[in-house]
Amino acid sequence: FRYKDSLAEDMRRADLVISHAGAGSCLETLEKGKPLVVVTNEKLMDNHQLELAKRLHRGGHVLYCNCSTLVETLQSMDLSTLKPFPPGHPEKFALFLDKVVGFQ
Amino acid sequence: TGGHTTEILRLLSCLSESYSPRHYVFAHSDKMSEAKIRSFEEKRADSQFTLDCIPRSREVRQSWISSVVTTLYSILHSLRLIYKRKPDLILCNGPGTCVPVCLSALLLGLLGMKRAIIVYVESICRVETLSLSGKILYYFSDHFLVQWPDLKDKYPKSVYLGRIV
Repeated sequence: FRYKDSLAEDMRRADLVISHAGAGSCLETLEKGKPLVVVTNEKLMDNHQLELAKRLHRGGHVLYCNCSTLVETLQSMDLSTLKPFPPGHPEKFALFLDKVVGFQ
Repeated sequence: TGGHTTEILRLLSCLSESYSPRHYVFAHSDKMSEAKIRSFEEKRADSQFTLDCIPRSREVRQSWISSVVTTLYSILHSLRLIYKRKPDLILCNGPGTCVPVCLSALLLGLLGMKRAIIVYVESICRVETLSLSGKILYYFSDHFLVQWPDLKDKYPKSVYLGRIV
């Protein structure tokens, strides 16, 4: 399929997700606790997408490769080395914003 | 656009009903965002919202010269939009669409209209560098939030609350 409104159901059923480095895809996958292999294509992508993928990789949260090394990565990967990714805290933003606008 | 919409909706997820009505602004070409927004609003008890489209000010990697023209066009649309909606607060997450909207709010504020508070939250994707929108709005926003500590160091006027999406 080209686009679905939500990949949530597919993700729930998956054991492994292989994705591009888009933030939404990465974060949604990590939040569902699924192992993630991020495939980057440095020639096509905006460089900034790489920043997040690289940081997530440095933190041990994702496996990281490019198109040509994907097969090798899948063959030699050890998913148990991946660390869980802690969730974000939109409630902190809500508290901050309440102070900014004067709702307290 | 997609990622930004998801982030904005997460930022909104813990806001109280006092933040109403909500006016969503997105680029003409963006169909998926509309669907995501409707889905989010359907789940809220206090669903008062509107959807407005404006033309995109700049496509990724568009030339500088044509960008000036398209940005001016977007600014005209944004001025009309801000004048119509008269927001108290503008919250944005970085797509090019937000720059003319914020600049319009500033301009109309200078001309005597109620001044909107501009809160800019840089995208979670931005770990080490700011987006172009971020670089511009760092100087024009009232509150500028970043989600990674490297950016807090580079941009001292920013606010760092950790990851908020």
